[in-house]
Amino acid sequence: MEIYLPVAEMSVHWLVILGMGLGVGFLSGLFGVGGGFLLTPLLVFYGIPSTVAVATTLSHITASSISGALAQWRKRAIDFTMAGVMLSGGIIGTVFGVWLFAVMRRAGQMDLMVSLSYVVLLGAVGSLMLNESWVALRTARAGGPPPVHPVNHVWIHGLPLRLRFRQSRLYISVIPPILIGFVTGALSAIMGIGGGFIIVPAMIYLLRMPTNVVIGTSLVQIIGITTLTTLLQATSNYAVDIVLAATLIAGGVVGAQFGVRVGGRLGGERIRFLMALLVLAVFLRLLWGLVMPPGDLYALTLGT
Amino acid sequence: MMRRRIFLSLFFALSCFGPALGEEDLVSGVSQDLIQITSNYTGSDIVVFGDVERQEKAAGRDIVVVVRGPDAALTVRRRDRVAGVWINHDAATLSGMPAFYYLASSRPLAQIAPQAAALARYGIGVANLQPDTVHAHHEVEPFRQAALRLMGDQGLYREAPLGVEFLSETLFRAHVPVPAGVTRGQYDVEVFLLRGGNVVSAQSTPLFIDQTGLERRLYNWAHDQPFGYGLATVVMALVMGWLSSVIFRRPA
Repeated sequence: MEIYLPVAEMSVHWLVILGMGLGVGFLSGLFGVGGGFLLTPLLVFYGIPSTVAVATTLSHITASSISGALAQWRKRAIDFTMAGVMLSGGIIGTVFGVWLFAVMRRAGQMDLMVSLSYVVLLGAVGSLMLNESWVALRTARAGGPPPVHPVNHVWIHGLPLRLRFRQSRLYISVIPPILIGFVTGALSAIMGIGGGFIIVPAMIYLLRMPTNVVIGTSLVQIIGITTLTTLLQATSNYAVDIVLAATLIAGGVVGAQFGVRVGGRLGGERIRFLMALLVLAVFLRLLWGLVMPPGDLYALTLGT
Repeated sequence: MMRRRIFLSLFFALSCFGPALGEEDLVSGVSQDLIQITSNYTGSDIVVFGDVERQEKAAGRDIVVVVRGPDAALTVRRRDRVAGVWINHDAATLSGMPAFYYLASSRPLAQIAPQAAALARYGIGVANLQPDTVHAHHEVEPFRQAALRLMGDQGLYREAPLGVEFLSETLFRAHVPVPAGVTRGQYDVEVFLLRGGNVVSAQSTPLFIDQTGLERRLYNWAHDQPFGYGLATVVMALVMGWLSSVIFRRPA
C-alpha cells in the first residue's frame, strides 16, 4: 500500500520506508550509533528530496537515542555539565548549519554539499576506524594486552576558561567541548546525522573522558542537537515530514532492540571492524556518484 | 506564451458567447471537476468526452484534448566537471511552464498538421511548450529541451497520439491518466476541434486537484505553525523512543 507524504508531496510504499527504518535501526542498535549517515543517503537513493531526507532523519535519531540515554541515566553515567557545555556550542553550530543549508539550497548546490560532506567525513572516519579495529583485532587474537593510545594533547590543557567536570573527573578548558559541539551541530543540520561517530571518538581521544560516561553524555548531546535541528528545519525550511518520520521511527525502534541483542554477542573490536567496512562502503558509493560521469547531464527541479 | 494565452482566451470567450461563430459546434465535458489527493492516492483517471455537431462534415476533422497543470517555474541545471567532481554549473529557470501536460489526439499530431508551425501557433503539443520568461545567462533552447524530456521521464508531459477515440461519427472520448506525483492547483481541460491543421472550435473547463483530509491538515500545519509542528514531531519521536524501551525492556 502506498502512503502519501504531505510535506515531501509524494507517494511512497510504506513497507519500503518501514523496512529502511528497521534495517538502519538494527545497525544502529548493533553499532551504538544513531544511523543518520546510513538513513539519509538511503532516503535520497529512494527518491525523497534531499532537503526532506536530511531534516526528517533527525527525528529518527532522536527516537533511537532516547532509550539509550534513559538506560545510561538510570546508571548515573551522564555528565550533564559536559553535555550542557557541548550543547551551547552545538546551538550556534546548528543555527549556522541551517543557514548554510538554506543558502546552498537557493544556489542549487544542496546535493553537492551533502555528498561532499559525506564523502570527506565517511572516508576519514571509516579508514581511521578500520585501521584502529584491525590493530585491536590482531592484538586480541595474539592474546596481548589492548593497545594503549599514546595520544597526549598537552595543548588542550594549556587553554584558558577551565571548568571542573565532576562526573568526568576532568578540569579542562570549555573551548574544546564547545568546538566539538559546534562542528557536530553544523554537520547535523547539513547532513542529517546525530554525529555520534564523531563525538564519541572526540570525547575519548581529545577530551580524555572516562569511557563509562562517554556514551550517555554523547546521547544527551545528540538528543539536544537533533531536537533543535528538527525545530529549525521545520521553521526555516519546512522540510520535516511527520508521516515519513513516524514510519521510520516505528521501524527503527523495533530494529534497534534486535540490533542491541545481536551486538551483545559480538565483541567490541569485531563490531567496530564491521562498522568501518559499512562506513567505507557508503563512502565508495557516494564517491562513485561524484566522480563518474552522470547518466544525464541535466537535472530538473520545480520552482526557482 | 502570452500571445498564446491571449489568443486562446479570446477563442474560448468567443466560442462560449457566440456558438454561431465557430463554423462547427463543439460540446464537451469532464467526468469530474475535482480530484482529491488522499493518503492512498496512487493516481487516477479522468474521462473527457464530447460531441461535434454537423455529422455530414465528419471526415477530415480532428479532436485534440489537452489537460494542463498550474503554471510553474522549472529550474534546469546542467552538470559540469570541476576539479574532477561533477557539480551543477549552468542553470536556466523557465517560468510559466505547465506543471502537468497531457495531450490526447484522434490522430498523430504530425498528420493533423503537416506543417509544425501551425500547431506551434496554438501552443499545442509538448514540443511547442514555451516559457513566459526565462532567467538564464546563455542559450536557452538546450535547457528547454532538457526540461521537456525530464518532465516526460517523470510522466508529467505526455502525448497519446491515438488517445481520442470516436464512439460514433460525432461522439468522442479520451482517458487522461493523472499520476500520483501531480502538483496541487487549478488545471485546465482544453478540447480543440481542428480541420486541416487549423483550430476551428475550442472549449476549456477548469479541473481542481487538491490534497484533502489529514494530508491537507498536516501540510497546512507544517506551513502555518511550523514551530508547533516541529515540536510535535520531536515529542512524537521522544515518546516513541521511550515507549519502545519500556515495551522491549528485558526482564531483570
